[in-house]
Amino acid sequence: MKKPISHLFILALIALLLSACSSIASRNPESGEQFMPPTLSTAIVDEEVMGKWSRSCALCHITGEAGAPVVGDTVEWQRRLQKGEEAILNNVAEGINSMPPLGYCMACEVSDFRAMIAYMAGLNQ
Amino acid sequence: MKQISRRTFLASSVRAALFGAYAGSGAAFAKSASWNNWSGGQTCQPAGRYDIGSEEELTSLLRNTLGPIRPVGSGHSFSPLVPTDGHLVVIDQLNGILSSDSEKNQVTLGAGSRLGDLGAQFDKIGQGMINLPDIDRQTVAGAIATGTHGTGVTLQALSSFITSLRLVTPNGSIMDIDSNDEDLLHAARVNLGALGIVTQVTMQNREAYKLKKREWAAPTEDILANFDELAANHRHFEIFPLVYSDYSLVLSIDETDEPIGEVELDAEPTSDSSIAESLGLSENPTPAERLRQSNETASRIQPSESVDISHKILSNIRNSRFNEMEYSVPAEVGAECLREILKTIYDRAIDVNFVLEYRYVGADDDWLSMAYGDHPHATISIHRAASEDYRPYFNIIEPIFWKYGGRPHWGKVHSLTHLELAELYPRFKDFMELRRELDPQGRMLNPHLRALFDE
Repeated sequence: MKKPISHLFILALIALLLSACSSIASRNPESGEQFMPPTLSTAIVDEEVMGKWSRSCALCHITGEAGAPVVGDTVEWQRRLQKGEEAILNNVAEGINSMPPLGYCMACEVSDFRAMIAYMAGLNQ
Repeated sequence: MKQISRRTFLASSVRAALFGAYAGSGAAFAKSASWNNWSGGQTCQPAGRYDIGSEEELTSLLRNTLGPIRPVGSGHSFSPLVPTDGHLVVIDQLNGILSSDSEKNQVTLGAGSRLGDLGAQFDKIGQGMINLPDIDRQTVAGAIATGTHGTGVTLQALSSFITSLRLVTPNGSIMDIDSNDEDLLHAARVNLGALGIVTQVTMQNREAYKLKKREWAAPTEDILANFDELAANHRHFEIFPLVYSDYSLVLSIDETDEPIGEVELDAEPTSDSSIAESLGLSENPTPAERLRQSNETASRIQPSESVDISHKILSNIRNSRFNEMEYSVPAEVGAECLREILKTIYDRAIDVNFVLEYRYVGADDDWLSMAYGDHPHATISIHRAASEDYRPYFNIIEPIFWKYGGRPHWGKVHSLTHLELAELYPRFKDFMELRRELDPQGRMLNPHLRALFDE
C-alpha cells in the first residue's frame, strides 16, 4: 500500500510547482504595528532614507524573514560585504533569492541603497 | 521629496519647463537607478524618481513640470505598464488609514498602502476586506488600476470595493470621484495609471471574519463537471490543474466561527527530493511518463484544513519569482478553454512544471474590468519561472485564450492592442476618449500604453 501524502507535502508541492510559500510562514509581523527602526545608528542616517527603509526593507530585515540578513548583525553583514558593495547593490537592483528587485523600494536611488546597506551593516556607528 | 526645499523645487521646475524633465533635488541625479519589476521581466532606466510626500507636492509637480511620468506601486505587473525613460512617481508615503466609518464598514486610505499591510490594521478596527488577491504586496492604487481580483463567483474585483477615489489629473487638478457620477467612477477605478494618479480611496469592507481553507487533490474532470455548483456552494473555490496530469489541487474557502488552527493529517512528511522522484522529474521524461508519475503522486495527496483571520487565508507571499499570463473568458466556456490549454501543453510537450490556476470572478461594471458585464468570468493563469524565457510557452497558449473571447489581465503578460481590445471591452473607446480628455498630451503614456490606446 502506498504511503499517504501529508498536508506538508501539498505545501511542498505547491512550493515546487508554483514556487510559492504559505502566507503563514512568511507574514510577519501580524500585529499591524508600524515597524520602528532599531536604535542602531539611526541618529546619523538621513531621515528620508530611514523613511524609505521603514516602508520597504524593514519588513524582512528586522525579522530576518526568508533568510534576510538582520539589521545590526554586523558579523553576517561583514561576511556579505566581502563580496564588495557593488555586488550587493547589483543584488538589490535585480533581486536575489526571496528579495524582489529594489527590495520594494521604488523610490530608492543608488545612494539610498548605499546608505541603507551601511546602516544595516552597522557601518555608520 | 522631503529633502527638496520649495525654492529648489521651483527652480528645478523652471528647468523642467525649459528642458522637459524635472532635474531632481539638485543632488547628483545624473543617472537614476535602473528599475525592474518583481519578476525582472520588465526593466527601464528612468530619468529619475519623484517620491511624493503629499497631495500638494503631487499637484505642484504635475503643474510645474513636463515630460513623461509613470506611477509605480510595488512593481508586481508583469506587463510593461511602468517602464519609462521619463520619471517614476512613487506614492508609498501616501499610506495608511486616514479615516474609518464603523457603521458603514468603510475606510479611507492612502492609495500607496500595500494590501498586505492592511489586514492587521483593519482587524484592529473590526473590519476585514471583502476579498484579496493571491498576492498581497501590491499597493491599493496598483491593484485597482490593473483590475486585480481574488476568487469567488459572487465576489468582484478589488476595484469594485472602492466607493470613491481622489484622482490627481495630469494637469494637476484634483477630482473627487464617487457614485454621484457612476459612469466616471466605473471608468476611473480600473485606470491602468493612464488617467492621472490616485492618491486616496474609500474602500467598502465588512465586519472582521475568519475563514476555513480546505485543500485536497482530485481528478480535474470530476471537478470541472461540478465546477459551477462547487463555486456556488463555497465563498471561494478554485483549482490548480497539474500539467501532464489528470489531477488538480483543489482549494475551497468558507466563512467559519471555528478556532484558529491548522489540521495536519496523520501522514509522514515527504521530502522535496522524494517529491521530485514522485513527479518523475528525471531528465527528458516523455509526456506519457510524466502523466503516469504525476497521477500516481497526486492520487496520494491527503486533504488538509486551516482556519485563520480572513487576510491570512486569502493571500500568499511568493518567495520565488515568475512571469504570468492571465485571461478571463466567459464562465460557460471556461472549462473548455482550460481543457484545450492542458491538451496543448501535453500534445506539444511544452517543458513546463508550473500548475495552472482556474477560478471564477464575479461580474462588475468597471469599464476595463476583465469581468465587465452581466455574467461571471472564469480566469485562467499560466506561469513560467522568472529565470526562463516565458515567450515560447505564452505565445503558444495566448491564441487559445483569444479563441474563447479572452480578456487580458492588465498587469499580466499579453500582446493585444486597441484593435482587439475595443472588441473585447464594450466601453473601451469611451475610456480612450476620457483618457485623451484628461491627458491630451499623453504625458502618462509609455510605449505599451500608446499601443493599447492608439496614440
